[in-house]
Amino acid sequence: MKNKFVSIVAGALLAFPLLAHAAPVKIGFINSITGKEAQIGENLTNGATMAIEDLKAKGFQVQLVKEDDGGDPKNALAAYEKLVTRDGVIGVVGPYTSGCANVVASRADQYQVPLLVPAAAKEEITMKGYKNVFRLNAPANVYSKVLMDAVKAYKPKTIAYVYAATDFGVSTVKTAQDNALKMGLREVANEKYQQGQPDYRATLGKVKAANPDLVFLVSYDADAILLMRQAKEIGLAPKAFLGAGAGYTTSQFAQQTEISNLVVSATQWTDDVNWTGAADFGRRYKAKYAKEPSYHAACAYEAMRIMVETASRNNTPATLRAALKTGSWNGIFGPVKFASYGGFTNQNNHSMLVQQIQGGKYETVYPAQFSKKNLIYPFKR
Amino acid sequence: MSFLQPLISGILTGGVYALAGIGMSLVFGVMNISNFAHGDLMMLGMYLAFFAFTLLHIDPYISLVLIIPIAFLFGYMMEKVFINRVIHHPHQNQILLTVGLGLIMSNTALLAFTSDPKILTTTYSSSAFNLLGDVSVSVPLLLSFLITCLITVILYLFLSKTSTGMALRATSQNREAAQLMGINVAKMSAIAFGIGTALAATAGALIAPTYYIHPLAGHSFLLKAFTICVLGGLGSVVGAGVGGIIIGVVEAMSSTYLSSDWKDVIVFVIFLAVLLFRPQGLFGKKGGQ
Repeated sequence: MKNKFVSIVAGALLAFPLLAHAAPVKIGFINSITGKEAQIGENLTNGATMAIEDLKAKGFQVQLVKEDDGGDPKNALAAYEKLVTRDGVIGVVGPYTSGCANVVASRADQYQVPLLVPAAAKEEITMKGYKNVFRLNAPANVYSKVLMDAVKAYKPKTIAYVYAATDFGVSTVKTAQDNALKMGLREVANEKYQQGQPDYRATLGKVKAANPDLVFLVSYDADAILLMRQAKEIGLAPKAFLGAGAGYTTSQFAQQTEISNLVVSATQWTDDVNWTGAADFGRRYKAKYAKEPSYHAACAYEAMRIMVETASRNNTPATLRAALKTGSWNGIFGPVKFASYGGFTNQNNHSMLVQQIQGGKYETVYPAQFSKKNLIYPFKR
Repeated sequence: MSFLQPLISGILTGGVYALAGIGMSLVFGVMNISNFAHGDLMMLGMYLAFFAFTLLHIDPYISLVLIIPIAFLFGYMMEKVFINRVIHHPHQNQILLTVGLGLIMSNTALLAFTSDPKILTTTYSSSAFNLLGDVSVSVPLLLSFLITCLITVILYLFLSKTSTGMALRATSQNREAAQLMGINVAKMSAIAFGIGTALAATAGALIAPTYYIHPLAGHSFLLKAFTICVLGGLGSVVGAGVGGIIIGVVEAMSSTYLSSDWKDVIVFVIFLAVLLFRPQGLFGKKGGQ
């Protein structure tokens, strides 16, 4: 009798899938909550938390299972395996870092549970043809491409590279060199530096002597300030300083107006872009967390929104995967569609933004259709 | 590019390295201890300068008047409480103790001040003036260098003219003989460690306006200070001064004429060459350690 009852209920659930929506949809979230990436990880947590609050307010039933990877790929993989095997989530958002996301991505097809990567930049993640891996943000090569596109109209002729001797620095400059070649830019200096040194004056002096039109920089937080200070000291003034993310996109850097004014940088998101709800998100984030939202927060917010909304309508991993593949969204991150192009699979062809520090504030200056201000070129002290 | 540019910025940066090296060398000379907490003491100096600037609104260079006595007392107490217990122990015990003290300091700083780097921006932080047309000289670095020179001269006079200074030198030359001559060597050790700490903190405070302040910032200077000491001759104050300038200039020259990537290679090749051909260091005494 009991079995019969269960089968009637099960049959009814299958016959009326709408009823199944009453049960909360279970989504996993892997992030670097501790470890050395924790500072940025916190922005992702904030963004995801805001997304869940907004979704619940709209009537979505969602249960979020959070896991910490501590910035370690091993832990990220263990977290993913736990989420899909023990917690039975139907989709996972995360992990943050490229290293972690790359490892988890390589296993997603084995477990057949869709993974939506919100902010990791390593190109490889969506280049291996994985069916269950989707990425919202633009990959690493777009950083240098969008920066060079922004200054293309001014016809610069020469470029110099100054970058940290790290994985991020070396790989970003490699893609930048490809893009520069296509634009016909001549490389006049290539300076890789060890982080944490007090004196970069000799390196920058060499760059100054080569007199480049563009100086392309890749550095982390504090080095960016140090380099720009010493660049001012020795009088290095190219037509544009192009900073690829990281140290050139922090509010701490923007506050140092004496050295940071007119520096151009690439970012995934800004709050003054004209994408639906971006400004509103920025305002609410500032009110809630008392600081500017970084692009990571926006990535996590939008990835979580897309995942939960899609999963609510498609409550198995297989249908969720199909819906992610065919769907399209429009929100604070602009138009989103997971497509296959140029060697990428399920990659959102996200249009990155170029911002310039004007009077201590980041202003979006490129592409023109998303920006309110114009790029100031050439650079002047 | 002018040859003078890397030479001048190398000498100026080397001055701050020298100050860190002198403190370490003095401690080694008097106590025969390699202080692996030296970099972390520098870091404390950076934070002292930072908080003096942000909370008390005192210029980092003027705040030295406060930082030097505070650091001296801190070092003096540290010697009394911890270091003197291992002064007659094997070297590995002393190394473990100083490494441990360093770890406690840097991790406490991480807890208290978080890992966000702090930036001390003064009105002159990125100002420079031109010399001979195209050589730019950083104002804060030049100020740091002049203060380093002043402190070195004062230290030299203290060591050669005052009775405490002479007692310190006697202890450094021969600890047992000094004790037999009635010198209070235990007190001399504490004074030497206090001065060493004050010099490290001063170096930290001097570099703060042009560098960034971070709980682990001292670590990159520890290796430099150690290299400088060995290069100049362990225990030799003059040697550490010259060694610091040499390292600064070699770094600047190799970044200019080779690549920034190679500068550490060049520094350590020179370091090894000195060890091979002059094991006692440039200014070390023959037969010294």
